[in-house]
Amino acid sequence: MGLILAAVGFGVITASILALAGVGFTLQFGVTNVLNLAFGSTMTAAAFVAYVVSQSAPLVVAVAAGGAFGAVFSVLVNRFVFMPFIHRGTRLFGMIIVTLSMGLVVQYSLQAIFGASFFSLPDIGGPTFHLGSFAITGPQVGILGLGLVAMACVHVLLRYTTLGKAMRATATNSDLARSCGIATDRVIDVAWAISGCLCGLAGVALALDVTAFTDTTGGDFLIPIIAVAVLGGVGQPYGAMLGALVVGVASEVAAAVISPDYKDAVAFVILILVLLVRPQGILAEVSGAKEVAS
Amino acid sequence: MSGAWQFYISTLLIYLGVDVMACWGLNLQFGYAGLVNFSFIIFQAAGAYTAAVLTLGRPTPADFQTYVGGAHWPFPLPFLAAAVAGALLAAGVGAIGLRRLRADYEAMVMLVVSLIATSVVTNATGLVNGANGLDLVPPPLLGVVHLGPLAYQWFYVGLTAALCLLVYLVVHRITGSPLGRSLRAMRENEPAAAALGRNVTQLRLAAFVVGGAIAGLSGAVLVQFLSAWSPGAWLYPETFVYFTAVIVGGSGNNLGAAVGALLVPVAFLEAVRFLPPFGPPGLIDAIQWIVIGLLAMVFLWFWPRGIVPERRRRFPRRIPSRSAADGPAR
Repeated sequence: MGLILAAVGFGVITASILALAGVGFTLQFGVTNVLNLAFGSTMTAAAFVAYVVSQSAPLVVAVAAGGAFGAVFSVLVNRFVFMPFIHRGTRLFGMIIVTLSMGLVVQYSLQAIFGASFFSLPDIGGPTFHLGSFAITGPQVGILGLGLVAMACVHVLLRYTTLGKAMRATATNSDLARSCGIATDRVIDVAWAISGCLCGLAGVALALDVTAFTDTTGGDFLIPIIAVAVLGGVGQPYGAMLGALVVGVASEVAAAVISPDYKDAVAFVILILVLLVRPQGILAEVSGAKEVAS
Repeated sequence: MSGAWQFYISTLLIYLGVDVMACWGLNLQFGYAGLVNFSFIIFQAAGAYTAAVLTLGRPTPADFQTYVGGAHWPFPLPFLAAAVAGALLAAGVGAIGLRRLRADYEAMVMLVVSLIATSVVTNATGLVNGANGLDLVPPPLLGVVHLGPLAYQWFYVGLTAALCLLVYLVVHRITGSPLGRSLRAMRENEPAAAALGRNVTQLRLAAFVVGGAIAGLSGAVLVQFLSAWSPGAWLYPETFVYFTAVIVGGSGNNLGAAVGALLVPVAFLEAVRFLPPFGPPGLIDAIQWIVIGLLAMVFLWFWPRGIVPERRRRFPRRIPSRSAADGPAR
């Protein structure tokens, strides 16, 4: 029992990272309709930026730098790579190849620059908290807090600001939104920036959580992120938050009960099952589902 | 030509044969039927494992590797079995995975299938020896032809070429037939193809299974030559190399796919071998992948139809009326 409780605790930590990444992924996918397979590599890149910054600045600055890098990089990649391809008429499977190539280029550029070894962000130490059999370290509290704060910000943005309204409108029907006078191009830029910022923060959080990261860390995390986004219904941030909790807890419990080897398998199985049985996601009734089946 | 050069060139030719076969298989799925099969490499792996296990013989307890089954089947049978294994796996994956999802979701399902396959084969060490893989696969017909190492290399080149020809005949026959036309119609406009009475589900599955069989056969040719096979040889980015090859060469036509196989996996990746080594270990490898990624993007930007574009098919404006000899119109 204690084992399972501890696993649930770790699951919540994993879920915070997954929520950061999953909400970022789904926001951008919902608004722009581009399945961004370079997301994982961008996370790794942000972790490396945080690593470089942390050499000469406190960790908080490094985390912020990771988020800022994610935002700037995502906007630039969209502006100068993805958007031009879409305007040129690259079709759906062409875009998958483009984003996957971009991911490979980013990942192996990092490997070329930093080498294929492991890196660690500085340990902030801090007290270890005990909740029964579950011990939670300082960085993990930080990750949890980061996740909660970011989710609250996303909630406020989407519900209580005009920009959030415009984003939701663009995600639901971009043509209609444009004809209602919403500057959808600017909304798309903002969506990439917010998604990129969340992506960067998730990358840094992941690097803190796994303690030693390498050029493949973010890429390996991509499938659970997609599982979260698809489980929650593509383009639905609240669904992604719920999905993050499900995938995070389920994979940690499976790791504790069955075998750590199959930790990722849970996310794979959830993703495949959802795509085959209910591709519109669990919260599809809440809003008009995006077209998933052809 | 010196022995070393002959060895090198014959090895390249064998790789070329394997890659050309694989590209034809992928092109049938991607170029003709429009299936974005990001798990293509697992069908090659399935064929390779099948062929390896069927030539290695039963594992003995003293053996350094464990695997399920094992037999000493004579020459053509392991190759056939590899193709069958690829086809069966494709039928299984296709029956479950080929739903009517949007192309990018379908690609994602296939990508995950590839990752699951790697995870299962690596973790279930009893199946095909886990991460260490299989080794010491005996080369086919070595005891029959009695050739020296170099002559055997050239013999294997001939064998590969013959199998390539066989695959070409199969693929050419499919793509040039009404079936190929149906596949292209489905790729261009699936609802229209369905409305004209084509069973789209069946067509997709057919392309998937035939492509899988070809991938399996290419895996057998590769493993019988390399004599070793492990999960490191079929990670998901390897599929991406074949995709890049088909895009660079020109998807939707068999000549294009062959040109792509010659340029990307063979010429490009081999040319790097002649560079003087520089930088820390792994740097050249990383640069190779960066360039493969850039290559795919550059071609999609400038030449999305590839070096050898698919022939634009023209049909007569008016379909000629049937001659009287055909009997009354039905």
